[in-house]
Amino acid sequence: MGEQELNELRASFASRYHHFKLLLSANNKALEIMSDMEKALSGDRTFSMSFVRSQSTAVAVNVFSIVKNLDALAPEKYGELYGRLKEIQEGINETLAARKMPGSDRLVIPLFEIGRNMADVVGSKMANIGEMANTLSLPVPDGFALTSAAFNRFMEESRLQAEIDRRLQSRQGENISELYALATEIQNLIVSTPLPDSISKAIHEAYQELEERTHKGVTVSLRSSALGEDGSETSFAGQYRSILNVSADNLDSAYREVVASKYGLHAIIYRQSRGIRDEDVAMCVGCMAMVNAVSSGVTYSQNPLDSADDSVIINSVWGLPKSVVDGSVAPDMFVVKRNPVEISRREIRLKTQKFVCYPEEGVCRMDLTGKEKSLLPSIDDDHVRALARIALNLEEHYGVAQDVEWAIGPKGTIYLLQCRPLKQMETKEAKKAISDAPTVIVSGGGTASPGAATGEVFVLRKSSDVLRFPHGAVLVAEQALPRWAALLSHAAAVVTEQGSLAGHLANVAREFGVPAIFGVEHAVGILENAGLVTVDADGQAVHRGRIEEILLNARAGKKNLMEGTAVHEALKAAVEWIVPLNLLDPDAPSFKPKNCKTLHDITRFCHEKAVHEMFAFGREHHFSERAAKQLFYKVPMQWWIINLDDGFDKDIPWKLVPLENIASIPFLSLWEGINAEPWQGPPPMDAKGFMSVLMQAATNPNLESSMPSQYANRNYFMLSKNFVSLTSRFGFHFCSVEAIISERAGENYASFQFKGGAADLSRRIRRAQFVADVLEEFGFRAEIKDDGVFARVEGHDAALMKEKLVILGYLLMHTRQLDMVLANDHAYVTHRAKMLDDVARILAERAAKTPPPTLEPEPAPAAL
Amino acid sequence: MDNFDVLVVDDESDFRDSLIKRLKKRNLNVFGAGSGEEALAVLKEEAVDVVILDVKMPGMSGIDTLSAIKRLKPLVEVIMLTGHASVEVAMEGMEMGAFDYLMKPMDIDELLYKLQDACKKKRLNEKRQRPVSPRSTGIAS
Repeated sequence: MGEQELNELRASFASRYHHFKLLLSANNKALEIMSDMEKALSGDRTFSMSFVRSQSTAVAVNVFSIVKNLDALAPEKYGELYGRLKEIQEGINETLAARKMPGSDRLVIPLFEIGRNMADVVGSKMANIGEMANTLSLPVPDGFALTSAAFNRFMEESRLQAEIDRRLQSRQGENISELYALATEIQNLIVSTPLPDSISKAIHEAYQELEERTHKGVTVSLRSSALGEDGSETSFAGQYRSILNVSADNLDSAYREVVASKYGLHAIIYRQSRGIRDEDVAMCVGCMAMVNAVSSGVTYSQNPLDSADDSVIINSVWGLPKSVVDGSVAPDMFVVKRNPVEISRREIRLKTQKFVCYPEEGVCRMDLTGKEKSLLPSIDDDHVRALARIALNLEEHYGVAQDVEWAIGPKGTIYLLQCRPLKQMETKEAKKAISDAPTVIVSGGGTASPGAATGEVFVLRKSSDVLRFPHGAVLVAEQALPRWAALLSHAAAVVTEQGSLAGHLANVAREFGVPAIFGVEHAVGILENAGLVTVDADGQAVHRGRIEEILLNARAGKKNLMEGTAVHEALKAAVEWIVPLNLLDPDAPSFKPKNCKTLHDITRFCHEKAVHEMFAFGREHHFSERAAKQLFYKVPMQWWIINLDDGFDKDIPWKLVPLENIASIPFLSLWEGINAEPWQGPPPMDAKGFMSVLMQAATNPNLESSMPSQYANRNYFMLSKNFVSLTSRFGFHFCSVEAIISERAGENYASFQFKGGAADLSRRIRRAQFVADVLEEFGFRAEIKDDGVFARVEGHDAALMKEKLVILGYLLMHTRQLDMVLANDHAYVTHRAKMLDDVARILAERAAKTPPPTLEPEPAPAAL
Repeated sequence: MDNFDVLVVDDESDFRDSLIKRLKKRNLNVFGAGSGEEALAVLKEEAVDVVILDVKMPGMSGIDTLSAIKRLKPLVEVIMLTGHASVEVAMEGMEMGAFDYLMKPMDIDELLYKLQDACKKKRLNEKRQRPVSPRSTGIAS
């Protein structure tokens, strides 16, 4: 063969090898993403649409890469795959496409035109308010709604949506303080982006019409009315902004502020936790004439804490309803029997402050003094009864218990500000079996959310503590403030000294499945330095340390948070095109491109064919005959070696290659394992068995000249500096090892495949189980199919990967004992034990010989 | 792999500058461009091996820029980098010959590997374009 010819061959081989490596790398990446998507589907964590999009895109790109590189290895041969890929990709696209937005393109709709059926145009809050005003003729402040069309136009025309999506996708990790910074950034971006003229004009025209219907210079409240905000399954309450007492001058900026609150920290985390697609939440805004309330409050048409109690409960405060909603003032409480309407209980509480409107704009807080403070009820009995009747009316109209916010104007008129379905707690037998176990640190209070969990105590005192809250800690605080809600996806459990079991935090805790106990006296002081605790919300007690028994009892009830949500559905639909594997058997006639139904099928198909093509190249070019060199270690051995690239430390002009000239990292580790432990057992029982041939090939140099020269029956290594592929085939047996080891931990992998044998099927299956069992012991993932084992390990750093190859080398040589293992259970156990011992010893000796790696400072996790 | 020449194209200057700085620390020769048009101008002047290209830019889009780069310098490899995951755009880019399509946030080491792989591919293609023999090797790629 001429020098030039050989060089050409080398060059094309180098290129093929590069394609092969790229294919393997993309193959690994694709499989990794698929397993990530499957894990997410099982509901072990929350994720957003940007996860679904990124992963789907990444997996499609890698599979494209695989197909392209296979195409380079075998031009045109598998071109059909591009068509399959295209079809699958279109399937994925369809599942990810954004939902069509409602048809209406009106930016503003006056209240008198709004009804219950317009929730997708004006949001459910405004739709309900419209229903109260127009269908039920209940007193509601006049106003108008800024529609989802207005929101969408704002986000599109100003390119805000694209920019926000980009920032959300590019965000780092799940760290709360970074997410907080991002949320702030996005809100600032929205607040500082001018409204398109069309929207600004529409707002001001609607405002002028409102002035004509009410009075000149009327101030208004702007409230969020996001799509899906008040659904009965999700409680967004308190997560979005309301701005009170706004004058005409500031309508634009107030609108932008409410819109921006879609991207508040709580709201982002909440949507993700509840699997709500970002793009499904258009922020509609309700704009209503301000009621300068003398007093105000919330009516529950039934007891929120007990579904068996149908009394109407009214909470009221002086001034605006702000203080009853955010829990800053303990409200007066009235309990009203419904049939006939009759006040059965009054609790007049100490009210220290109230919120009132400034005349021009804004809201101020006033301290209360005198009788108003503690003695006088904030509403009189007539109002109590009237409010109860309204709530009962609404309950009857909607068919479910209602939560109604209202205000009473200076002339005593009741105005309804919003209504929504009430979330009631199941009646629970008060479990008064207060535990007297010695592990109890503190007990009492009420179960705000059932279950049990363990974690380190973290006491929250101020808002900024939120940013330091460690993942998986037990949240302990004096009050159950709505602003802690953002932490519930990170907290193991919640314990507070005060707080309403019907409040926002309790609602969210239940939705998230986070155990919570509220009303535990002195919890903060007692738990402050308690360290690791177990919170038993069902038993209303906190125990020192981790109590397995309690955790086990509670675990049964844990739910998959994402199940049934829109985001989960989207992932599920996308995964259908990606993950299922239909092409299982490469020898089956159905193993064809046209039968690739998923990206996994394509990946599997290409990997098989790529390996085949790499070998075929050698065969078709008689390359192996010329390029394969015989391994020389003391004597010529029955192992043949094809150097793909940089597998030797210098040019080897001879037919033999001395071991010391081999520079392939994974080869050398494999070889180390092959030679680590001399074979001392009895002669092989099955002389024709693959393992015995392998053994003889390795140890008996006299066999050399008698071996058939057919490629198929030889033991071939293909190698480069970072790659090794060993293929052994003899008779019915087939075995292969393939590995990449380099400084790129993410690309490192080793796979081991073993199949066949001449024994009957049940014995072969038993052998496969044994091999899988031992490999799993050493951290491989092993799959058994019939009598075949496929094992794989990946992603470790070079040092650990070398160890794995030593283990594979050892197993290659010693699994031939399996013929005996097949005999009985006792042998199975003994041989398993011996193998584990051997490997442990080999690794220990190895560690003693190898100097410890020089400790380079770990670079800080770097991402762009 | 020893050093080679990279062009970072991104309209977001903060991101671009910080990426350039970090790649320079890894001993690469790095150029920057704030738009597709600017990128083409740099490519005409400099011997760039790999381009890192933002997909969404005002003016000339990433996809248009990719196609212009492939016409101007067919051997130059292009890695698309984007904050907007889209299966459709990704496939379009790959079909037009992008080496890879990566999504932000991006691990810097992983990006570096991709750059090395892309550069190696370019070198191999260059070698095979140089006629070593009048006969073809019979292996296309």
